[in-house]
This record gives sequence, C-alpha cells and structure tokens, in this order.
Amino acid sequence: MNSKLLWYIVKRILLAVATVWLVITVTFFVTRAVPGGPFLGEKAISEAATAALEAKYGLDKPVMEQYLTYLGDVITKFDFGPSLKQRGQDVIDIIGRGLKVSVKLGVTAAVIALISGVVFGAIAALRRNKFVDKIIMVITTAFVSMPSFIMGSLLLVLFALKLRLVPANGAEAGGLILPVITLALYPMAYITRLTRSSMLDVLGQDYIRTARAKGVSGPKIIFGHALKNSLIPVITYFGPMLAYIVTGSLVVEQIFAVPGIGRSFVSSITDRDYTMIMGTTIVLATLIVVMNLISDLLYKVVDPRITLE
Amino acid sequence: MKKFLALLLALVMVLSLAACGSNGDSEDPSGNEGGEPSGNQGETPADPNTLNVCLASEPDTLDPALNSTVDGATMVSHLFAGLAKWAQAEDGTLEIVADCATELPEGVVNDDGTVTYTYTLKDGLTWSDGEPLTAQDFVFAWNRAASTDLAADYGYMFELVDGYADMWATDDDGNYLNPDATLNVQAPDEKTIVVTLTTNVPYWNELLAFPTYFPVREDIVSDEAWATDPSTYVSNGPYTMTGWEHDSVITLTKNEHFYDAENVTMETINCYLSDDNNNMLTNFENGDWQLIDAVPTNEIERLQADYADEFFITGQIGTYYASWNINAHLLPEGSTLTGAEAEAAESEIRTALALLLDRNYICTEIGQAGQQPASSFVAMGMSDADGSEFYMNAGDPSDDYAGYYDVSDDAYEANYTQAIETLKKYYEFDESTQQFTNVPSITYIYNTDDNNKAIAEYIQSAWAAVGINVQLQNQEWNTFLNTRKDGNYTVARNGWLADYNDPISFLDMWTSGSGNNDVQFGRGDHESTAMYDLDLTPYGYEINITDGTWAETYDVLISTIKTCTDDEARYAMMHIAEDMLMSTGCITPLYYYTDIYMLDDSVQGFYCNPLGYKYFMHCTIGG
Repeated sequence: MNSKLLWYIVKRILLAVATVWLVITVTFFVTRAVPGGPFLGEKAISEAATAALEAKYGLDKPVMEQYLTYLGDVITKFDFGPSLKQRGQDVIDIIGRGLKVSVKLGVTAAVIALISGVVFGAIAALRRNKFVDKIIMVITTAFVSMPSFIMGSLLLVLFALKLRLVPANGAEAGGLILPVITLALYPMAYITRLTRSSMLDVLGQDYIRTARAKGVSGPKIIFGHALKNSLIPVITYFGPMLAYIVTGSLVVEQIFAVPGIGRSFVSSITDRDYTMIMGTTIVLATLIVVMNLISDLLYKVVDPRITLE
Repeated sequence: MKKFLALLLALVMVLSLAACGSNGDSEDPSGNEGGEPSGNQGETPADPNTLNVCLASEPDTLDPALNSTVDGATMVSHLFAGLAKWAQAEDGTLEIVADCATELPEGVVNDDGTVTYTYTLKDGLTWSDGEPLTAQDFVFAWNRAASTDLAADYGYMFELVDGYADMWATDDDGNYLNPDATLNVQAPDEKTIVVTLTTNVPYWNELLAFPTYFPVREDIVSDEAWATDPSTYVSNGPYTMTGWEHDSVITLTKNEHFYDAENVTMETINCYLSDDNNNMLTNFENGDWQLIDAVPTNEIERLQADYADEFFITGQIGTYYASWNINAHLLPEGSTLTGAEAEAAESEIRTALALLLDRNYICTEIGQAGQQPASSFVAMGMSDADGSEFYMNAGDPSDDYAGYYDVSDDAYEANYTQAIETLKKYYEFDESTQQFTNVPSITYIYNTDDNNKAIAEYIQSAWAAVGINVQLQNQEWNTFLNTRKDGNYTVARNGWLADYNDPISFLDMWTSGSGNNDVQFGRGDHESTAMYDLDLTPYGYEINITDGTWAETYDVLISTIKTCTDDEARYAMMHIAEDMLMSTGCITPLYYYTDIYMLDDSVQGFYCNPLGYKYFMHCTIGG
C-alpha cells in the first residue's frame, strides 16, 4: 500500500514536471508568434533603437536559440531574466513581491471559505427545512450566482465609500479585508451547499441509524461519523476552488487595487513583456499543478475506498 | 481517521491565524517613519503636510533617462532638477525658468551654423546624499540618455545636439560606425556646461526642463537597478524618494539638500499607484486622496455637477484622430483612375468622409470631458511665430474659420451637403434613398477601450447613413500598434500627444522614414506617386518642385524646417507642411485632447503644464 502510494506520488510529480515544461514551451512560442513586441508604443522608437534593445535582451537571435537559453537559465540557475518593460528589475523580484500579497489574499480566502462553508453547511443540514436552513440556502444561492466583480463593487461602495469602515485601496493596512471577503464568498457558498447535501446524504445512511439505535450521543454521531464522511466531496472541491481563487483574484485585485501578481500577469501580456509573461505563467501553472496533486492525495487519504491508478 | 480530521482542522486554524496575523501587520503603505494619517474616516486629511495623489499605476521606471510616461515625468520632475524648469508666474501663467543654471542665456551661432550655449551652475548644488553636483554630472547624464547602450524611448530628444547623429550612425549590417562618439557637450570646469546644437530651435529651453535632460550621477546609475529602490535612489530635486511599495505607493519626502528647499511647502507626497478609475474615484470621494488624474468616463457628468469646484479640465497638446492607410483603395470597382489621378481622387474622398462626421456630437455626447472639436492636426495649445495659437492660423487664411474645415455646430449641414456632392463624383448615388450604392466596404480598427468603441460606432453610423458599409474591428493594444505600424488597415483610430511646445513635434512624424508614419506616406505604392508641389523660394531656399514624390517634397520640407533659424519662415513652412498633410485627407482630426483631474478644494498652490505634468511642491493644504 505504502510503496504503491509512493510510486503514485513519483508518477504524479513526473507528470507535473512534464506539464509545466509543456506550458513553458507552448507559452514561449505562442507569445513570440502573436503580433506586436515589447518595444512598441504609441510613440514608436527608431529602428536603430529597437535593434539596440533587441540585441541587449537577446531577442535578435533565432527563436529556438532563445528558447533553449531561457529554458537552461530557468532550470540551472532559476533565472527568469530581466523584465523588458520595467527596466532594471528582475522578473523573479517582481513576481516575488506580487506573489507574497496574492498568496496572503488567496490562502486567507480559501481558509475562511472552508471553515465557514463547512460550519454553515452542517448547521443547515442539521436544521433541515427549518428557518435557519432556508435563510442559509437563500443567501448561498445569491452568493453562488453573483459574479465577483459585482460583489466586489457592492462591498466597495457600501463599506469603503458609504460606511467608511475599511480603506478602498487594497495596499493600505486593513485593505485586504474586502478583497478576501469578495474572493471567499463564492467558494464559501459552494462549500456550504456541498456540505449540506452530502451531510443529509450521510445522515440517512444505515450506519448512522445503527449508531442512533445503539444509543450513541447526538454530538458524537455528528462529529464522529456524519461530518467526517460528508467532507469527502468538499475535498474534491479543493482543486476547482483553488482554480477559482487564482483566476478570481485577477478580477478582485483589479477592483481593490491589490498589489498582487494578477495585475502583472495581465499587464505583461498587453506589454508583450516576454520574460514577465513566462515568469507569471510558470508560477501560476506550477501552483495549480501542485495544488491539484495535493488535492488528489488528500482525497485518497480521506476516503480509503478510492484506489489510485 | 478521527486523528486526521483533527489534524486537518488544526492545520486550517493555524493557517488562518497565520494569514490573519500577517494581514494585520501589513506594510505601512507610506513607507516613511513619520507615518501617514491613519484615518480614512475624515473628510479632510488630518496631516496638512502630506498630500496623497494618484496619477497612474506602477511606473515602468523612474530613471529620468528611461521614463517615457506623463505620470513618471511628474514624479521625476519632483525628484530631479535640470538646468531649467516649468514654473508658475505671479499671474498664474506658466514659464520656463532657470533651475540648476543661474540663467538661460541665448546661444552663440558659430560659423558652421551650429549654436553653442554656455550655462553656469548655481552655487552649492548637491545631490540628496550630500555629494556636490557638478557640470560633469550633466555631461555624463546627457551622453547616457542619448546612448545606443541605453536605447531609451526618448533618446531622440537629443537629436539636435551635435554628435547625436554620429553616435547612431550604422553601416548596412547595422554595426555602429562610431562606437566612441559622444554628444558635443563639455564641462570645462565644475560649474560650466558648454553644449553645441546643430541648429537653433525655439524650444531648446523647454527641452532643458524635460526629464530626459535631468542629471544623474555615474556611480549611482552604474547599478542598473538603482531607480527601483529608495535606498539607492539619489536625486537632486526638491524631493527624495523615501518609500516605494511596489504597485502600491511611492513616497516623496522634501529634500533638505535642495538649493531652494525653503520654497518647497509640501513635506510629503504619497503617489498611490492604481489604474482602476473606479477605485481612484472611491478614494477621492472618501477623502483619502486629494488628487486623482483620471475618472470613470460614465461618471463625468455626475462629477461635474457634484464637484463643481474640484473637477478640472485643462488643455493638453494632443489630437485624437483617424488615420487612413494611403495605400488602401477606396475607389469603386471598375474605376479607371490610376497612380496620381487615383490618389488625388482618394484624397478628395477621404476629406469628404471627414466632413460627414459631426465632431461636436463626438465631444459633447461621447467624450463628455470638454474636448474641443478639431479642424487641424497640430493641436490647440501650440504657439505660432507671433505667439498666437498655431491652429487658429491653419488652413486657408481667407476662410472665416480656423483650421481645414468649419467644425462649428451650424456648419455641419453645409459640410454634409458638400461631402455628398464630392462623393457623387466618384460613386453612384441613389436619389430616392439618398444612399451611395457602390462604395467599397471600409474597415475601421481601434484598440479596445470604451471611448474608442463609442467613437468607432458613431463613425460607423454616420457613414452608414449615406450607404457606406463600415466594419468595426477592435484589437488588443499591442496587436493594434503592430497592425497600424505595418499598414495592414484601411482606417484606424489614432492619437498624438506632443512632447514639447513646437508644431514640428506633430509634423516630423510623417516623413517617409519615420517610425510613426502609420499612414505609410512615401511607402509601398505611394513611394512612386509623384503629385506634390513644394515652393520654398519665398523663404530664400532654392527649392521649387512640381509633381514630386512624398520623399522629394514633404521629407525635404521637414529637414529644411529643422535647420531653419528664421522663426517667421520656419513657422510659415510648418503651415505648408500641415497643408500638404491635410490635403491628402489621410488625417481625419476629431478632437483636441483634454486632461481631466480632480483636486480637493483644500489644496492650494497646485499647477500643471501643457504636457500634463503636475506640480505639487508648492502646495499647501487647508488655510
């Protein structure tokens, strides 16, 4: 069993590396194939100046040679090169700064969504068809169906502009409160509904009835048997939730002016800042691949009935 | 399993605590020791010595030589001092005055036509780290900014300095011919700068106030990352950079080493970095920020009403226009016209199509920001030889309107009728439906933006009203630039903002070799189109060309203007250049740009220049 798990992990890691390599390769050639370039602007610089810049950053070499050099630098030196637009700065530094903020935002949102989702879901299931359940269901339906840019703008107007409880700028102290809430609401609502239905399902199972018949106490049934098993679907949602948070934060960071990686990701594409595009893509791809791996492993650990192939 | 669940829950709680903990101590955005007013609740800022502004998002660079943005130039103008600067006179007008130089003397014309200027630095100038500022620093900075090594966007601002052409001369393989060439600028002693220009230009003093001409110190900039970190950012202006939280805020603190520190009234300026107009407005409305440089377009009407004293529209030297690809064909199928005849016909067609557009509608209904309908390419705000507005004297002097067509509201009907008559010469017109039936379909391209889209849709509907089928195509910014540059289009949205107050900055971009020649003048089929006349004999030049190509006429005219030292003749020739340009119909000016900003009414002493640079050093709050 253990060696099987180990072999599975090794296999998955190899697959992850291959995935990231594929992403690097495709992104590298696609960015160079699209029209435009890093040195274009509304005011064109002279051809001589463009040539000088291309020579400086090695863009005058054949694309294949550029690709091999880039790949070599990334693998051997973990060197993502200098930004072509933000001159004097290395891609790794810019990404590092943004990632710090984005991870803080994403992890906090994920944790809040997870905890509150499970709690509300459990409450709703235990109070099935009662008033509390109905309230929770109505609210979560609203949250699930409302896109984050609308929710974000609503919160911004209400709490930052009208009530002035929190700053509107995500970079200020306390400025991450609203973005975290905006980002957490959708997965929280989703997890609530997931937990509720799966808990209802579990509560109807024979082994729960048996436990009740044996005279096991209510809380013990809930925490010892029902909740544990009803969390399995929640764990499978871990991967999609992460994907949502990564993509959702692009929008949320924009609305609240959070200095995260999302902004660099979007602007690097508009600017054709090749090295920045590569850097942000590699980081985000790695993040998603790794998180999916963790999610799959957790799934296996929680539900022994799952067999890993 | 139970254990696992407990572990998972514990992990989740630890993570959430860690995340909240790090959330709580998130960086003080001001980055300065004194801290900034923490209250977001107040209507007015608690600290009268701190000004919070938001110009744009994170600048690509704050290296004076590399910067090419208006917001970057504003910050650099607070951090550095050049030989000259923009200042506000007692009566509120703007003028160029000496800054690091004791005065701005006239140049001395040499025998070979070059002009030499000699500047003396003020006494006691120092860098923000206390080191003395020398003339050699200027010499170094200028050579660096103009160098092929740096290849700065604005390196060409030195093209009129003697030696620049040598620095950039290459052989056929692109190798530099004179790798050791430098600008003709010397520092005979610590306080004297001698610079020689290839020709005298009226905007030379203005260039001295341009960020690319600011001094930098060799030992500082030898570290390529110097301009990204406050600890290595040494400057010589009214402020020093004391904090840069990337993508968040740049803090400027008054530089006590600055020679004129006693007249700098604002202690600290926080330049918040955001490009979300809605977010900027929220921060302005809740009193956190005192100046924002952009507002959401759909809020303009409300803001003008609600903040009459705090909403500002100022002129900016720039034109929003549509540019036509001169090589794209517009004549109907079966037309027998070719060469110069076809080009003459198409010039007329393009001009007629321009007349069909109601610029007042575009400005008041779409732009809504005080834009002025444009009737010429050289923008409002550019001065003529006698100090009057250049655009007022553009076009035929016998017309009773300024520019190349009458853009007043009343004239629209007459313009429309005239345009229809012109188009009838080339296309079939169905009198019963009042529509043209055989105009080839036209594709208008624009870069993705709400305002551009609304204008594109208006143009589409205006031309569709007379039976011309217009397809709209929006392109992502960088793709769009590429399409336009390569001339793969028929008609495209375009815009130009001047870098200095001289009409040549609108005219030299249309020479055949220019990188900004989106119209493709003198390229492709147009290269051999010989139909342009140029007579410069009235100005003392032996140039009189009939039926010349674009290169033989326009290019020659521009290079003549660039070496002309007689102001009157120079401006007259610039009018000729614009006449030539407009006669092709390839430029359809729509409006002159304006700059919108919101400024809290508690702030006094603020001013901005026609290039859009904003100045906060003499501001005070309250009182």
